[in-house]
Amino acid sequence: MAKDMVRLENVSKKFGNTYAVEQLNLDIKTGEFLTLLGPSGCGKTTTLRMIAGFEKPNEGNIWINGEKVDKVEPYNREVNTVFQSYSLFPHMTVAENVAFGLKMKKVSKQEIAKRVKEALELVQLANFADRKPKKLSGGQQQRIAIARAIVNNPQVLLLDEPLGALDLKLRKQMQLELKQLQEELGMTFIYVTHDQEEALTMSDRIVIMNQGKIEQMGLPDEIYEKPATKFVADFIGETNLFEGTVMDANPSFATMKCGGRHISIPNTGNFSKNERVYMSIRPEKIHVSAQAGEEDNLLSATLKDEIYIGSVTKIIGEFPDGQKVIAHGSRDILKSCTRGDQLYLHWEPADSVVFEMKEKMEV
Amino acid sequence: MREGTRKTLFIFTLLVFAFFYIPILVLMVFSFNDSKIGTVWTGFTFDWYIRLFSNSQIIDAAFNSLFIAVVTTIISTVLGTLAALTLHRYGFPGKRTVGFVFYIPVVIPDIVLAVALLVLYSFLNVKLGLATVIPGHVVFATSFVILVLLARLAGLDRALEEAAKDLGANEWHTFWKVTLPLIYPGILAGALLAFTISLDEFVVAFFTTGPGSNTLPVLVYSMVRRGVSPEINALSTILILAVVFVIAIVGWRMNKMNKQEGEV
Ligand SMILES: Nc1ncnc2c1ncn2[C@@H]1O[C@H](COP(=O)(O)OP(=O)(O)OP(=O)(O)O)[C@@H](O)[C@H]1O
Ligand SMILES: [Mg+2]
Repeated sequence: MAKDMVRLENVSKKFGNTYAVEQLNLDIKTGEFLTLLGPSGCGKTTTLRMIAGFEKPNEGNIWINGEKVDKVEPYNREVNTVFQSYSLFPHMTVAENVAFGLKMKKVSKQEIAKRVKEALELVQLANFADRKPKKLSGGQQQRIAIARAIVNNPQVLLLDEPLGALDLKLRKQMQLELKQLQEELGMTFIYVTHDQEEALTMSDRIVIMNQGKIEQMGLPDEIYEKPATKFVADFIGETNLFEGTVMDANPSFATMKCGGRHISIPNTGNFSKNERVYMSIRPEKIHVSAQAGEEDNLLSATLKDEIYIGSVTKIIGEFPDGQKVIAHGSRDILKSCTRGDQLYLHWEPADSVVFEMKEKMEV
Repeated sequence: MREGTRKTLFIFTLLVFAFFYIPILVLMVFSFNDSKIGTVWTGFTFDWYIRLFSNSQIIDAAFNSLFIAVVTTIISTVLGTLAALTLHRYGFPGKRTVGFVFYIPVVIPDIVLAVALLVLYSFLNVKLGLATVIPGHVVFATSFVILVLLARLAGLDRALEEAAKDLGANEWHTFWKVTLPLIYPGILAGALLAFTISLDEFVVAFFTTGPGSNTLPVLVYSMVRRGVSPEINALSTILILAVVFVIAIVGWRMNKMNKQEGEV
């Protein structure tokens, strides 16, 4: 079994009186690709900075490769970082920037030249070796930052939104290359991104953070299919969130009432009658039709709007009480419909997720 | 009306320039005037320059001034750089106060510092000489070096030093390979300022120099008291040209460096 490469135990970081990171527990295995995902300001960069050694945790401990690092300086940690703001050295050429880490390790000249060339080829910037960073575009600078970190072959690579400035095509390409490199060299990646698709496709494991705390940690499909909290359901992808009251909590038959509608819900046995809950159902799990079918759990709504988004059409409906609902459907269904027409919606209760309303009470 | 405003501004700018530079220009022209009385043009000559270089008093004073300026520049650049780095980097109790203390020499009248030093020297029984001028100059010059460098450091991205450490550079390597190259133009500008401040400083030098060891400004002062000689015009011309030359070279070098970095 792979052992832990990075371990955070009850790590907290305060700036002034507010916690940027609070009581974080995280074990990252050797060779794992772990992604931190969360809204702006939730503490992702701060977490990386503590692992790299630029911030001292107020509480808790960090281990890297089995060694407790509270007294280890950043330059003695087997960790390299791709900084969110690139931080390229303006007085050095691109090649000198990339060579910096190897020079510090006293690698031989020929070896440095060879590895710098390889790294620059990886990020498709071999022709720019002799330029100064400020003469490059934002996306090019970002790729130099990747090359500068990756050329050192560190045990742990921290990447803070490393592809944020790239266009879609180049980003997809770099995603593949990074993932390949990570797997080939068995490097441990701790990756921060705002691109959910990137997180879902590249990661072995995803950590969803919110206000300095871990909201949920799991495999990409777990996070998407079985969000643990309302926050995660709302944050990852698009979803419909309905607020309601549990009407029946029988083992075989559970329903909730929401704005006059009765909706079947999956019974996880965690709810009791009359409890206030949230329910989340993904737009692509909702079947839309123009005629009422035979299914249970059938709801009717009026068509408000349709938005073409490429492979599918986004259908925006409205329930009689004004609550909006979003579903994905094919164009064909809507051929005969115009705005204001009646639509019939249906989904498998098992595809929806129900959360207790603890978030409300905390406020 | 807009056109009128532009013209007025243009003329005003010209007047300011004239006010700045006509006296200097007149001085330079009259340094070639073939007449002992400096107010009427009688003919062209290099005489005053020849006399100047054969005047051992002036040459000695020039070397004294250069010596003091060089020593002052070295000491104040090193001290100022260290102080600025400390002030910029470390938070410690009383940091603001310490920072303020460094500004004081910039704003207090020279005469106060001069007299203070004189009192100190007599209290310590120090015999006045050439070297006794240096501490006063170092105090002024260091303050200016700190001012210039703090401005440069404020524009320095701390994240660059972190990036260096992230790549395995210890404190020492980070300083030499990243911090120093980035603040080098500031250090150069500070050193230049220190040099010129020391070179033309009069009040402190006048009070704290010993008998027989004149600096150039002090000597010029004593010469002018006996009437403005065209020799002094010649000397001033040389000084002005020398300073303009040095500043032009440094400015050109810094400009080139900034261009290479693509503006830091
Ligand atoms: N040096 C600092 N001093 C004070 N507060 C800070 C400092 N660094 C971060 N913070 C605060 O800590 C919180 C977490 O910041 P952090 O940079 O880790 O967010 P993030 O998750 O990386 O956000 P983003 O996605 O926008 O990069 C924020 O509220 C931020 O304002
Ligand atoms: Mg961040």
